Amino acid sequence: MFNFNPQTQKKLARFRKIKLGYYSFIVLSVMLALLAIAELLVNSRALVVQYEGTLYFPTYTDFHPGTDFGLDYAYETNYRDLAAQFDKTASSNWVIMPLVPYNAYENDATDSIMRPEAPNAARQHYLGTDTTSRDILARLVYGTRTALLFAFAFMVSVYLIGIMIGCAMGYFGGLFDLGFQRIIEIWSNIPFLYMVIIVFSVIPAEASIPARITLLLLVMVLFSWTSMTYYMRTETYKEKSRDYVAAARIIGASTQRIIFTHILPNVLSTLVTFMPFTIVSAIAAITALDFLGFGLPVPTPSLGELLKQGTANLRTAPWIVTAAFGTLVLILSLVTFIGEAIRESFDPKQFTLYR
Amino acid sequence: MSAPLLEVRDLKMHFPVKSGFFSRAKARNFAVDGVNLTINPGETLGLVGESGCGKSTLGRCISRLYEPTAGEILFKGANLAGMRHRQLLPYRQNIQMIFQDPMESLNARHTVGEILEEPFLIHGIGNAQTRRQAVSKLLDTVGLPGRSASRYPFEFSGGQRQRIGIARAIALKPELIICDEPVSALDVSIQSQILNLLMDLQKEFNLAYLFIAHDLAVVKHISDRVAIMYLGKIVEQASSDDMYHRPFHPYTQSLISAIPIPDPHHTATRILLKGDVPSPISPPSGCAFHTRCPKAQASCQHDAPILKTLAPEHIAACHFAAAP
Repeated sequence: MFNFNPQTQKKLARFRKIKLGYYSFIVLSVMLALLAIAELLVNSRALVVQYEGTLYFPTYTDFHPGTDFGLDYAYETNYRDLAAQFDKTASSNWVIMPLVPYNAYENDATDSIMRPEAPNAARQHYLGTDTTSRDILARLVYGTRTALLFAFAFMVSVYLIGIMIGCAMGYFGGLFDLGFQRIIEIWSNIPFLYMVIIVFSVIPAEASIPARITLLLLVMVLFSWTSMTYYMRTETYKEKSRDYVAAARIIGASTQRIIFTHILPNVLSTLVTFMPFTIVSAIAAITALDFLGFGLPVPTPSLGELLKQGTANLRTAPWIVTAAFGTLVLILSLVTFIGEAIRESFDPKQFTLYR
Repeated sequence: MSAPLLEVRDLKMHFPVKSGFFSRAKARNFAVDGVNLTINPGETLGLVGESGCGKSTLGRCISRLYEPTAGEILFKGANLAGMRHRQLLPYRQNIQMIFQDPMESLNARHTVGEILEEPFLIHGIGNAQTRRQAVSKLLDTVGLPGRSASRYPFEFSGGQRQRIGIARAIALKPELIICDEPVSALDVSIQSQILNLLMDLQKEFNLAYLFIAHDLAVVKHISDRVAIMYLGKIVEQASSDDMYHRPFHPYTQSLISAIPIPDPHHTATRILLKGDVPSPISPPSGCAFHTRCPKAQASCQHDAPILKTLAPEHIAACHFAAAP
């Protein structure tokens, strides 16, 4: 297993003692694991199809046209209909559907009229449908997954840039530090929301959805990396003046070696405590942007978009806002609790009221 | 006498004192202001002074942690002042340093083994196996158990940590070690152990020490020669015995009178100095010590004394130098 530094082991042990944070961590881990295999739980594609003696596993494969299963159409098989048909004909063929047999994009309207429908266990819309009759649970699951992935990518990018620039500023100091401080001051005064609006108004319409998401990530990272440099700069500055760095230099260590094997490991442990809060703010930011309509492009499922629908139909379809709001609160609370626990367990002062 | 191992000539280290972002240096801190000294192979030179007198700065200039403002640092004839990292690298093996606080000078995230292996790694000595052997040999030399290699610095006591610091300093078989108050942070009982270790190592490897301290008793015990520093300048230099029996400079006299004598019947005749050490940013004119000197005359305020040979191998900078 991992051979951790005994100090790190102590911190982990302390983290385990902070129950709220530790259980939040377990719950979130389980949620992440479930989200990773969301295609097996919430999907319009069947898990297993047994047709004419052959087993099909359509979840992760290419689509099977209806003709594969003796249907009269060449577009993708509707497995719910297929299951119903197999039941009706009482053949030896069968279909196993996921727990929620809908994906996040399809409209499942009764009477072909698109309108929000209340939760209905019989039709397996456990949280109801949204204004265009898409399953809310499916959209929540995939929206949450996108938001978490997005937040994680955001955090990694922001930290990479922030650490590199902040560390260089703190280490080299002098004119480089001075110059970059001014650049950061100017840069951090550019209003982020206006930039997003401007950027989104000039994206060509034919840009693909992944390209749009990447661009959004890029814009967000571009206007967020500055905050990380402050911590890195001061921490590096502090560590650089300590005697172990002097000792390394006297032995003959190069600048590169001093930064990467001496200063960074000592600085990064403090940055760990910021990570959950960066994730929280990233999720909140992307949800807010979606709510305003400048976030992830339609029809990508997202919490913000559901909140927007929900507030627009607060009287007629309260289940939309309830589901979206509940999910948001749950995720943000879990991550915040974990963050609090990490901060607590990394705090050198042992005494704490937060257990 | 053989050629000196280290010769410092007129070394100056002035730190600019800045205020505000764009302003130029308004003043300078004359931390080290024209120091000359020599260290012979296998010899210990004690460097004594109050805090803030520039003794650590001098040590850090010689170990080239600082780039001196002016002057020469001749190590076996080669001038280290002004050398870049690459040129300096071969000399790094020969000049090492032991720090005051071993907790600060050992990276808390590295095991003792990693800390002691680093010198060999940087200088490309040996392979993984021989390096491991070298580390356990080093641990043995400084009197630590071999299993210490897999442990972290904070798992050791202060004295043991200082032994790790010493092991790192002797790893590359240097000829000169700058000891920057190596025992000041330790208990008295541990101090003597570390001092004995340093003296044993000196005999074994023919090391030369520049031993920086403010504890005169410690310096007397370990040094062959002693230099006294005041406000960036050396005010007196002599052999250890001579210095303690016949101090010429009034500053040295007051320092020596402050050494506690473990005898309850001893009546102390301490020479107490008035006031604090003046700021090295604006040192007093003339003799820097005139503001606190019990023997100061009017002429001391503008005439800076130079080091004069007052006895064989004994120099002091004072207009009114006299044996007590």
